[in-house]
Amino acid sequence: MLDRPTVARVELDWAGPERLTMNMGPQHPSAHGVFRAVVTLEGETVVAVDAVIGYLHRCHEKLAETLTYAQYPSIASKTDYVAAMTSEFAYVLAAEEIGKVEVPKRAQYLRVICAELQRIASHLLWLGTWCMDMGGALGGGATIFLYAIREREDILDLFESLVGARLLYGFFQVGGVRYDIPNGWVAQCRATIDRIDQRLGEYEQMLEQNPFFLARAKDVGVISRELAEDVGIAGPLLRGSCVPYDLRRAAPYSSYEDFDFRIPVETDGDCFARYRVRMVEFREASKIVRQALDTLPGGPISSRPALKSVAQIRIPKGESYARVEGPRGEVGCYMIADGSAKPYRMKWRGASFSNLSILPHIIPGHKVADVVAIMGSVDPVFGEVDR
Amino acid sequence: MASDLAMIVPAVLRAMGATFKNFFRKPITVHYPDRPRIYPNRYRGLLALTYDKETGEENCIGCRLCEYVCPPAVIKVEMLKAPKRNFAKTFTLELYACEFCELCVQVCPTDAIIMMKSFDLSTADRREMLLDKDRLHAIGQQHEPSWATGNLLRDMQTPPKAAAPAHAKPAVPPPAQSQSGADAVGPRETA
Amino acid sequence: MASPLALPAPLALLALPALPAWVILLIAPFVLLNVILGLVTYITLLERKFAARMQSRIGPYRVGPHGLLQPIADAIKLMMKEDIVPNAADRPIYNLAPIVFLIPCMLIFATIPFAPGLGVGDVNIGILFFLAVSSMEIVGLFMAGWGSNNKYALLSAMRAVNQIISYDLPFIFSALVPVLLTGSLKLGDIAAAQQGSLLRWFIFYPVIGQLSFIMFVVSTLAAENRVPFDILEAESELVAGFRVEYSGMKFALIQLGEYAHMIGSSFLGALLFLGAWSGPGPEYLGPAWFLLKMLFMFLLVTWIRWSFVRIRVDQILALSWKALLPATLALLVSTAVVVVWRTNGF
Repeated sequence: MLDRPTVARVELDWAGPERLTMNMGPQHPSAHGVFRAVVTLEGETVVAVDAVIGYLHRCHEKLAETLTYAQYPSIASKTDYVAAMTSEFAYVLAAEEIGKVEVPKRAQYLRVICAELQRIASHLLWLGTWCMDMGGALGGGATIFLYAIREREDILDLFESLVGARLLYGFFQVGGVRYDIPNGWVAQCRATIDRIDQRLGEYEQMLEQNPFFLARAKDVGVISRELAEDVGIAGPLLRGSCVPYDLRRAAPYSSYEDFDFRIPVETDGDCFARYRVRMVEFREASKIVRQALDTLPGGPISSRPALKSVAQIRIPKGESYARVEGPRGEVGCYMIADGSAKPYRMKWRGASFSNLSILPHIIPGHKVADVVAIMGSVDPVFGEVDR
Repeated sequence: MASDLAMIVPAVLRAMGATFKNFFRKPITVHYPDRPRIYPNRYRGLLALTYDKETGEENCIGCRLCEYVCPPAVIKVEMLKAPKRNFAKTFTLELYACEFCELCVQVCPTDAIIMMKSFDLSTADRREMLLDKDRLHAIGQQHEPSWATGNLLRDMQTPPKAAAPAHAKPAVPPPAQSQSGADAVGPRETA
Repeated sequence: MASPLALPAPLALLALPALPAWVILLIAPFVLLNVILGLVTYITLLERKFAARMQSRIGPYRVGPHGLLQPIADAIKLMMKEDIVPNAADRPIYNLAPIVFLIPCMLIFATIPFAPGLGVGDVNIGILFFLAVSSMEIVGLFMAGWGSNNKYALLSAMRAVNQIISYDLPFIFSALVPVLLTGSLKLGDIAAAQQGSLLRWFIFYPVIGQLSFIMFVVSTLAAENRVPFDILEAESELVAGFRVEYSGMKFALIQLGEYAHMIGSSFLGALLFLGAWSGPGPEYLGPAWFLLKMLFMFLLVTWIRWSFVRIRVDQILALSWKALLPATLALLVSTAVVVVWRTNGF
């Protein structure tokens, strides 16, 4: 069915509905990566979506069996490359859980700060690309995209001062983190988040009551509460459908219980609700960063001696599943350790992979233009999907 | 309908006002090749081999720790044994496959391999990015090195046991003023 | 149309010898077309710089000082590109489509007077000619979409027909308001009725002027396939829409036609609502004022384009048929009532 020769003409049959099979992707300006959606159209309405993934498969799970605990966190960044720290976080948490490794308080706070900054950066990219999908690369969408990227660059500058890299870090390490904050970083961080909070007000002003934006986002892609709980999605998709589940509250890790923040929950379940959830998450994330910076304790940044050789970290036998609340949902790492320097098996639960399974449920019935709006609000990153 | 209009028109004007306000902001474009990019102190740029500051000898002792730790295995070293200390007979680094993860810098016992505060190495031929030992030393002389060397990174990560030596991080959270030290945030361009 | 003896005021400065009418009939369109072509190429640069400033960046900068040679570089690039024709395309239709699209877009400038008497043909039914001819671009558009034998192009072409037909009616009705206020279909008369003082511009006519201007701008946005109504070429879904199979010079012709149509509608809007060539200073500055007002209309449309996301095709059509068409009809009727009331002297 998928290999229909394209030379055939499309016969328009006025007597009845003609179903057109259209291919969106894998190379497509708004596929958010390499994603192929074979949509079946009746006129302008989508009646079926067939998602084809796997174009970005890079054998991460096998790679984890051949790389040691010291080497793999740098590679883990590449699954969710937009929010790279999330995957590293899940991996080291799993290793630490099996090995019962203590993480010093300062390292935990640094992890929280970086994870929340990463959340802000990832949501900025989401906002930009979603509006660009809806508004076109030559139009208002591109304007919001450039504003969002302008703010994201400031956060990436922060990471560059801390780690040396902008996109793929290698910041986490079993037992703590690899880098401590340099002088002047705290001030730069505070200035950056203040500026971003203020600019966010501008974007909300541009979008919130904008009739064109509301026409595209309201009542589009509604996920009912039952569907959300059945299908197994996570993250803002879940919280936009009235399920108040956030791992930072439900199963706190890395000192998240020390911070005071609220979990935004919206009841409508449409794209606009998910947009509201993420906009509130921006502000809550900057609240957490400010609290963490204010109460940052002193002390070491790692409980294990500094990395001097590749097989230095050995985790005893055991298995665990560690999960973090990434910007896209629950990123989980299931690990079986066998006492050596490499895990016996490591499996990723990709947040976007599970979130994509909602698409065949909510897209049919909408128009073609809504497909990109819904995909944008689901916010997949295909490094996580295909691993 | 009229009430819709009463909501639509101000919203439209507000959106256009936001774009209008940005019209008068200074553009954030940095004219990159004309003005050099200012890299922060810990920037992970090109890799290079170093010479010892006092004796002028090569720092690399050919221990191959960097080769073992490299995740994409781009480093290949052969050791040359000599009476007083060992050297590296050959040292190849495939820069086109390098991840710039800084693990090799982290494990180097003699601070031999470090990263530079520059990224400018584009070529038209990928073979020019297969760096041999001479090339790596040359890069080390040409650009400014990053703050991060093996010993400094390991000192930063080690839980302190004794009194802090001169260059270690203080045990209290750093105050919110930037001191001019090698480990400060470093210069940034102001847009 | 200028007789051989009486040249329009701006040209009289040049002290040209008196020429027979048929020579002027050949020269004037030639000059006009070249001016329009030059204007079109440089207005793309203006739009890019303007949009860039709104997005905190600079726009074309490297080609020529501050990017001034960018349009020329683009033109040379397009001319040098290979002309790729899809194997299964319907050749005659595919090849003719850009031309059929371009000709109406160029023809609309025929009846626009750029100064009193300065124009190719200021006929009695000037505005009718403009509106009729400008709707003919749909034919070229649909030919492009059909001839490409590409599902995306076809979808886009069908949307185009839908949208442009739906918005031509409010476009015509809102353009007819100044006609009613003047009492003549001749564009020169409409412009002349606004001369004298700033407040005589139809945009300042109480209530009716502002409303019809806004509706004109909205209909122009939609008839030109500009965001928020550019579902036709929605890059993120249909990847350039009906133009997707065109490359090289044919693509350039289509771009040219689009921007020419945009400029033509801006000229029309400036003439109908903003007083055409009226402005302070001597008479020969008239065309300069006209150009400035056209640029204002164009930049207004551009500003809207770069501030909003697009809406779906069914929403676009709903907006047209359910909101804009009744509104413009009501406006036209009330304008007629006001005009009759005024001529009978209330």
